[in-house]
Amino acid sequence: MAQHSSKGARFQAVTANRLLDGEVVYLAADNSWTEVFSEAEIADGPEAGEALLARAVPDGFEKQVLEPYLFEAIEDENTGFRPVSVREIIRAKGPTVRLDLGKQARKQAQG
Amino acid sequence: MYRYDEFDHQLVAERVEQFRGQVERRVSGELSEDAFKPLRLMNGVYLQLHAYMLRVAIPYGTLSSRQLRKLAHIAREYDRGYGHFTTRQNIQYNWPALARIPDLLAELAEVEMHAIQTSGNCIRNVTSDQYAGAIADEIEDPRIISEIIRQWSTFHPEFSYLPRKFKIAVTGHAHDRAAIKLHDIGIVIVRNEAGEIGYEVHVGGGQGRTPFIAKKLSEFVPKGKLLAYLEAVMRVYNMLGRRDNSYKARIKILVHETGEEEMRKLVEAEFAQIDASKMLEVPQAEIDRITRYFEPPAFETLPAESAAFNKAQADDAGFAQWCRTNVVAHRQSGYSIVNISLKPIGGVPGDATDVQMEAIAELAEAYSFDELRVTHEQNLVLPHIRLDDLKAVYDRLVTHELATPNLGLISDAIACPGLDYCNLANARSIPLAQEISNRFADFDRQYDIGELKIKISGCINACGHHHVGHIGILGVDKKGTEFYQISLGGSADEHASLGDITGRAFTEDTIVDAIETLVETYVGLRHADERFIDTYRRVGLTPFKERLYAE
Amino acid sequence: MPNSKKLIIDGAESSDIWHFVDDETPLAEAPAIISLTRLHDEGAELVAAGKKLGVILRAGEKQGEDVHALKHFLDNLAVVAIEFPVYRNGRGYSTARILRGQMGFRGEIRAVGEVLFDQWHFMHRCGINAFEVDADVSLEAFNEAMGELSAAYQPAADPQRGILWRRHN
Repeated sequence: MAQHSSKGARFQAVTANRLLDGEVVYLAADNSWTEVFSEAEIADGPEAGEALLARAVPDGFEKQVLEPYLFEAIEDENTGFRPVSVREIIRAKGPTVRLDLGKQARKQAQG
Repeated sequence: MYRYDEFDHQLVAERVEQFRGQVERRVSGELSEDAFKPLRLMNGVYLQLHAYMLRVAIPYGTLSSRQLRKLAHIAREYDRGYGHFTTRQNIQYNWPALARIPDLLAELAEVEMHAIQTSGNCIRNVTSDQYAGAIADEIEDPRIISEIIRQWSTFHPEFSYLPRKFKIAVTGHAHDRAAIKLHDIGIVIVRNEAGEIGYEVHVGGGQGRTPFIAKKLSEFVPKGKLLAYLEAVMRVYNMLGRRDNSYKARIKILVHETGEEEMRKLVEAEFAQIDASKMLEVPQAEIDRITRYFEPPAFETLPAESAAFNKAQADDAGFAQWCRTNVVAHRQSGYSIVNISLKPIGGVPGDATDVQMEAIAELAEAYSFDELRVTHEQNLVLPHIRLDDLKAVYDRLVTHELATPNLGLISDAIACPGLDYCNLANARSIPLAQEISNRFADFDRQYDIGELKIKISGCINACGHHHVGHIGILGVDKKGTEFYQISLGGSADEHASLGDITGRAFTEDTIVDAIETLVETYVGLRHADERFIDTYRRVGLTPFKERLYAE
Repeated sequence: MPNSKKLIIDGAESSDIWHFVDDETPLAEAPAIISLTRLHDEGAELVAAGKKLGVILRAGEKQGEDVHALKHFLDNLAVVAIEFPVYRNGRGYSTARILRGQMGFRGEIRAVGEVLFDQWHFMHRCGINAFEVDADVSLEAFNEAMGELSAAYQPAADPQRGILWRRHN
């Protein structure tokens, strides 16, 4: 079940899974879906969050992605923002038991 | 094992094309996700954390080398080079692309495999005893009736939109390795006083949020009438099962809310109608045809003792140890049953690489009459190995890190995919299995502890079967942190029992120490020859609880 | 039937002679599909008046309406509509099967509600011969759905015996 943000969450981003291959993606500022969390647009405040989610579901969104939802992010001095929940941290990286798989492996490969 | 005829091939091929069409309509937008979802689920396609997941059916856990090679090929070509064997004898792939799945299914069809009804609110894979046809004292090979049930339940037009999923298991042996009492329908093949074969039918078992041990609805359904009885159970469930709350929709809830006696009456009434019509009595010729596929292979006549085997044991202590833990007596003189542990110390439980799968396929082909099995505990079996060949098999397994001598021991823990992979999970389970395995890596210690079945689930859905672990662990989420709740004394066999929760949950940092405490408590209290579960049943929860929570 | 729907009966597009009438509205001359409750209350009268009878069976969430309750009206019923409130609620498949099979009903069994492409084949196998579908559904699509699985392992309410039996004919 998608974990939505906790009550009173300030910073949020929108995530979904890509239809064709199930890849985890995030809504970027230009309304494209990016594979990389650091490129996700971060909404500040609940209204901005709702607006961000609304941009994720235009007509025909289902041809690109499945089940977009908001999740909570938090400021991080190193990377700008990071997800709050363990689940979203894992979604952003890949399985913790196979560091050679998922996004974390691609990041390594890119150096 | 069963081989497809033209009908089987045709149906599977048509299903592949049907799904291909459904995928096309989904991709083009003609089909909404809401309409597509049950269709893809009925073809075993889940959406998980990182990607889609495909669950391929392995009917009653039986595979040929050709099939296993294809599974290896699919891991390589469509996935990331590995697969995961599940607690229902199936295999899962974690990274297939939706767009490629129809092609993947077409390849599976080439070797008589499919992903039909491995998910969704329909009748799922019929599972059975992994030692079927190889173990002594079997009443009848349970895979014969399992195959008949499989065909009857495939594309069943009346039961494809049930209130919830439906799982059937069959055993033909007094010692139940198929966990039949934890299934929606569990079937035990029995003989009555007249020596006739029939079926004890248990209904309403299950784990998950509200675990139940199944109730014995019928002592004896005569051979030939089982399908009619099953259809009666399914119809009663389909008509009366709740659809207002998915947590109350399994048949176990219906049995609980209706009452065993009333449930029996409802089923008997429906059964009487169906039986009278005779429409589900399978012709004897068909039963005979299917039975022939499960005839014993052409065993050689061999002496009970093998000089080669005895010598190999004397020469190689590691081999001898592996034989003690992983090799089981076969009903045929001179043969043995080999358990391949997919629980290397510190490894991911139940996973196998494409290379490992191919090595096992080779062994099955060369040494086991081209047959292997998947267990309920994320391990594999080579069912018919000559004692003479055991050393050669062992050496090959060692090369591929498949000879861990830990069957049934503390490091042979089951873990569901958990929060590392699964959309439903609240906590990670695999790392916990790995930590426990590493903590107890010392084999001498493991042997001293003896049989201890640890089962770990990452959420309340209990795919790790934690309710029936001697030690069960349930991962929970408290305010964003992973915690682990312990239960003790569960068992999945003919003495089925649900574990008792010990109390307060443990953190990631303290859970493995807690397991140590439990083990030490057992060792301190046990009588001679008592396994953990025996001691627990004798002394109860209190001594363990006291030690666990002592300040 | 709403404009957004159309009726396919026995494989052909059909106009509907029936009207769905709720419990409060008085019955007019036109043949009416009424609720089970109303059938119990007024059925005998309607039969005596020589009316064609039609009934709709609701699937419900906790419990569905019991098809066996139609026992006494079976000879006078021309149509039984079975509701599929959402396609996931499959109670109606058993309702249809019991009606067509055990109860021997020979009239029209109609699926109403959410009746989609991927369910028609199984519905038909369970004895449903009339489908209230979206107006934009083509007969071609309907026939395609009917033919997607050319055979079946098990018997149902349609004439085919099932592969488990056919292998030995």
